[in-house]
Amino acid sequence: MPAKQANLLQGTLDLLILKALATGELHGLGISRRIEQITRGTFVVKPGSLFPALHRLEEAGWLSGFWGDSENHRRAKYYRLTKAGGGQLERETEEWTRVASAMTHALKAT
Amino acid sequence: MRVLSQSRSALRNIFRKRQAETQLDDELRAYVDLVTDEKIAAGMPTTEARRKALIEIGGVEQVKQAVRDRRAGFRIELLWQDLRYGVRQLRRNPGFTATVLITLAFSIGANTAIFSIVNALMLRSLPYHHPERLGVIFTQIRGPVTSDERHHVNGEQWELLRDDVPALLSAVTGSRPSGVNLHAGSYVGYVRQGRVSRNYLDVLSIQPLLGRNFSDLEDRPHGPKTAILSYGLWRGDFGADRDIVGKPILLKGEPYTVIGVLPEGAATPMDAEVYTALQPTQDGEGGGTNYELIVRLRDGATWQQADAQVNRAWLSRKGRYELGENPGAHVSYYTVPLQQGQAAPLRPQVMALMLAAGFILLIACANLAGLTLVRMLRRTPEVATRLALGASHWQVQRQMWLENLLLAVLGGAAGVAVGFIALRGLLRLLPEYFLPVSGVGLDGRVLAFTLIVSLLTSVLFGMLPAFATRRLDLRSAIGTRTSTGTEHLGLRQALIAGEVALTIVLLAASGLLIRTLIHLQTLPAGFNPSGVMTARVSLDDARYRDAAAFRKLLQESIAAMRRIPGVQNAAVGLSLPYERALNEGGITISDGKETGQGVVVDAVYVSPAYFSTLQIPLLDGRAFTDADGPNTQHVAIVNRTFARKFFRGANPIGRHLDKGMVIVGVVEDVQLVSGLNPVAPLQSEETLYLPATQIEGSMLSMVHVWFQPSWIVRTAHPVGGLTAQMQRALAGVDPDLPFSGFYSMSDVLAKSVATQRIEVALLGAMAALALLLSAVGIFALVANVVAQKTREIGIRIALGSSVRQAMVQIGAPGVRAVATGLILGLVLCAIALRAMRSVLYGIAVYDPATIVGVTLLLIFVAVIATIIPTLRIAGIDPAQTLREE
Repeated sequence: MPAKQANLLQGTLDLLILKALATGELHGLGISRRIEQITRGTFVVKPGSLFPALHRLEEAGWLSGFWGDSENHRRAKYYRLTKAGGGQLERETEEWTRVASAMTHALKAT
Repeated sequence: MRVLSQSRSALRNIFRKRQAETQLDDELRAYVDLVTDEKIAAGMPTTEARRKALIEIGGVEQVKQAVRDRRAGFRIELLWQDLRYGVRQLRRNPGFTATVLITLAFSIGANTAIFSIVNALMLRSLPYHHPERLGVIFTQIRGPVTSDERHHVNGEQWELLRDDVPALLSAVTGSRPSGVNLHAGSYVGYVRQGRVSRNYLDVLSIQPLLGRNFSDLEDRPHGPKTAILSYGLWRGDFGADRDIVGKPILLKGEPYTVIGVLPEGAATPMDAEVYTALQPTQDGEGGGTNYELIVRLRDGATWQQADAQVNRAWLSRKGRYELGENPGAHVSYYTVPLQQGQAAPLRPQVMALMLAAGFILLIACANLAGLTLVRMLRRTPEVATRLALGASHWQVQRQMWLENLLLAVLGGAAGVAVGFIALRGLLRLLPEYFLPVSGVGLDGRVLAFTLIVSLLTSVLFGMLPAFATRRLDLRSAIGTRTSTGTEHLGLRQALIAGEVALTIVLLAASGLLIRTLIHLQTLPAGFNPSGVMTARVSLDDARYRDAAAFRKLLQESIAAMRRIPGVQNAAVGLSLPYERALNEGGITISDGKETGQGVVVDAVYVSPAYFSTLQIPLLDGRAFTDADGPNTQHVAIVNRTFARKFFRGANPIGRHLDKGMVIVGVVEDVQLVSGLNPVAPLQSEETLYLPATQIEGSMLSMVHVWFQPSWIVRTAHPVGGLTAQMQRALAGVDPDLPFSGFYSMSDVLAKSVATQRIEVALLGAMAALALLLSAVGIFALVANVVAQKTREIGIRIALGSSVRQAMVQIGAPGVRAVATGLILGLVLCAIALRAMRSVLYGIAVYDPATIVGVTLLLIFVAVIATIIPTLRIAGIDPAQTLREE
């Protein structure tokens, strides 16, 4: 769904990645699939956006990466939320809720 | 936290690039594998699954690049790449790089050295406690003669200032430190003595390391004789003896009690080794303006209050000497910060040098702009290729600026090194105690200045080429192989003309100074300076206050010097030709129609052989003889100027001065450092010679505080070990009397024209540098035209043009630029050189010889700089150049 992808707001991807990792560690493909799942297929994140974002979040100290074995025994790079990342997720969620409710309110206004 | 984490990543990305790359590789491979596994699990054939997975990822390389672009430190890495590319570019053009770096090193070096002096003199805060509260007093006179400068003060002014100006804590000193003899145990030395009033160290806020400052009692006339030692003298000559306070030392032949030692690093404007109490008076020394003043603003007072109090106190004086030669003038006084007051006499010279250094920088910039422009044009194909491959204009520009910046930083570093060496050479050139500051060095401010100058330079010489490449037409640039060399030729010619014009001004200015120095050094001396050796002795010594002891010393020591083998003659004089003499007023002519006229003259006491030893011609009458003693008729000899000025050319022999003194001879004028009416550094002044034997003891002790008489010997040919033999001869008469140093007459002359010599050396060096830079500029311009037009020249020669015609045609742009610059420079000279009037002697500001000489020199250098590159034309083979196309 490329059209929907284009609508991904700046910052939304970061929030989705943080959220996807909130339930546990995942590798790149896992994150992609998890985002697809929790947005009910609305957002499909392509590697070209996913990996730069992952590396940026890791450099910011919100994610930490490590190498592990996948369910079918392939070595893959896994990511998990750091303590700082957890805090960031909370802050961004709060912010997003505030903006979203404001937007909803604004669009419903007559 | 986030910043920290990012910078750590940035460092890792830059320095562990390979590891980061491998990990990224692995990560993406794993992703592809996982997607493939997924598809195989969904029932797709293996190869098909892999292909689909790769399509889905959308190009592994692009993803990697996207990750790299987002990485922390990416920009730094890009900059690093550009920088490395820049370094490669500079190394590929060693000729260009070397020219630029040498040009920068010299021009920035000159600026660094000169700015160091400006910094030390005018900017760096003085090494005293709260220097901003220290000051001096300037006297402003508006009337028939106008002046505005720091004056020495007399005893009356000092007492008024001390008693009636509560806003200031004031102190006076002798006008400069004087050499005196110090005996301490077995040590006999000639040390710099500073005579200071009791508050001097309080004004400077210096607390002694040991002991105390001078007391009121000690600073009164005939008060107890006490001394304070500098830290250096105490450490060096007294072995840091902590019990020194209270002990006597033998200073000037008398016991002085040491009452204190200054702390280490304590600086004073006097910079003396031993301090004694000035004991200022209203008569004697204090009857004239012989004291130097320094003040500190007291806490709670303002400079305005101080100025008002000083004016009130000093304008109510009885003796208003300022009005003596200037009746009806309006006189006022005002305080000036110490630093400004100290630097004032040197400020014009230093500012002129700073201006000259600025010229050098501009010339260098013009050269570099020309060079960079040519280089940029040569790189047009490269730039066009980069643009065609998708580099943005900004990226190309950034690359160019980065290369300029690189050059500027390297050149700046080289400039600091050159400046450091130049500064050391310069300081060695200066006479001792010439600058009123103790140290000149490269401090943070100088380095900051150099950095700014370097960056400014890079902006200045980088700007033109940057503008030139901005309007690059991609299609035509890629079409032509190289530029033809005529682009921006007009611009380059204008740059050359500008630098030639500035060079002319510098050359003319230094030419005028050289002519002034030659004039001063070749003035008819009035005596024979070759073969004369002189040595100075301090007679400010208790043993020689008595006139009889003084006469005995002179007689015996002169006789001993005459006995040195090879010595033809020996004499003593209070001062020498080329030196400043004692100015004496209060002498009156006591007969004839000039009766009662007071004269102010240079007074010199001499031993009988003074004139024959120095070979000053006797014009009329007789010289002094051994028969002129204390109890015989008092006699005097005058010089030609004295006779002309006071007797209007009538024969002065037999005329009387001060009633009892008769003039017995007239001698030729000699050149002196002017003291009476300074219109030139060296001139002949009305001089009165007196026999040393007829000077009273009270007069001797006063003049010996200010002047150290010189022993003079003449030899027919150089005598080995002469100075040692002179010292031995003196020691035979008085073993406790050291010579302060030995000087030939050319040393004395060199010292009196030191300022002029320094001006010539500095400005001459700058002018030479400017000339060199201009020559390089012209050379580069013509050489470039030759290189770019090789093919055209080949065709011309093939079609029958002679090599000479081709040379003229190619050299023409350079010649035109120089001609324009020459005319512009002469116009600039006409405007600017007038400012030099006050430092020129014996020549006019628009000295035709200088102007013609400078013009010829420049034309000569320009012609050589033009011809050398055009010589390559002769080596051009038409057939080969045509085949190359």
